[in-house]
Amino acid sequence: MQVQATNGVTVISMDERFDATVAQKLKDTVKSLAERAQTKLVIDLSHTRFIDSSGCGALVASLRVLMKNKGDMKIAGPSAQARSLFQLTRLNRVFEIYDTLPEALKSFAS
Amino acid sequence: MRSNFSLKIEVPAKIFMLRPLGFFVRSLIEQLTDNCDASEVIDRVELAFSEAFTNICRHAYGVTREGPAIIEIKASDDQLTFVFTDFGQGFNPENVAPPNLDEPREGGLGLWLMKQVMDEYTYQSEPDGRNVLTLKKNITRSRAASSEKT
Repeated sequence: MQVQATNGVTVISMDERFDATVAQKLKDTVKSLAERAQTKLVIDLSHTRFIDSSGCGALVASLRVLMKNKGDMKIAGPSAQARSLFQLTRLNRVFEIYDTLPEALKSFAS
Repeated sequence: MRSNFSLKIEVPAKIFMLRPLGFFVRSLIEQLTDNCDASEVIDRVELAFSEAFTNICRHAYGVTREGPAIIEIKASDDQLTFVFTDFGQGFNPENVAPPNLDEPREGGLGLWLMKQVMDEYTYQSEPDGRNVLTLKKNITRSRAASSEKT
């Protein structure tokens, strides 16, 4: 998992597997970020081949804590497997999803 | 590789085992399934495996106990079977309500997802203390894996 800032937006890039192994780490990281109000966050899934319900749960928890602090979160570059899972669980209606990281970053500017 | 085979491994039911097991299971399924319709099947089986093992780690033994998970993988001509055995706290799947997908939560999707993506799901708590979860998926075997002789 890598964290970097780009033009006022924090980007967290998840690695190949997004499961219970890393879910808590993401939640803890986002919780720290959310302490700064109005945090803008992109979760970059372009390197994530596999996500399960633990990963989905971490995304839900992250969005929740950010919104509570007037922040926002978007998702970039999900794989076909991730898109399929989001659709099956209807999380595609909850998350703002972009095909690529540049598109997600650009959405914060507009 | 045999046309039909089974393997059994015993691992600690700890989350750190999830990643190596996940890679192993995916590699195995890729070898076994027909390349024509494989990717969605592989994704679904990998998902079910991840959900099952995570549930054992989180719920069977909880935070205060440790214990093993015995994982059997069986492949026949047209079916993959995973059997997970633990010796921790059992439960009744009938008592677990399906998730309300219109109210996203942080957890509670694992059991439901296993039932969605696999063709059969059975769970049994045995009198000897074993909890046995069986997941089955119908597959199209690759010609190479089916025909190779040992």
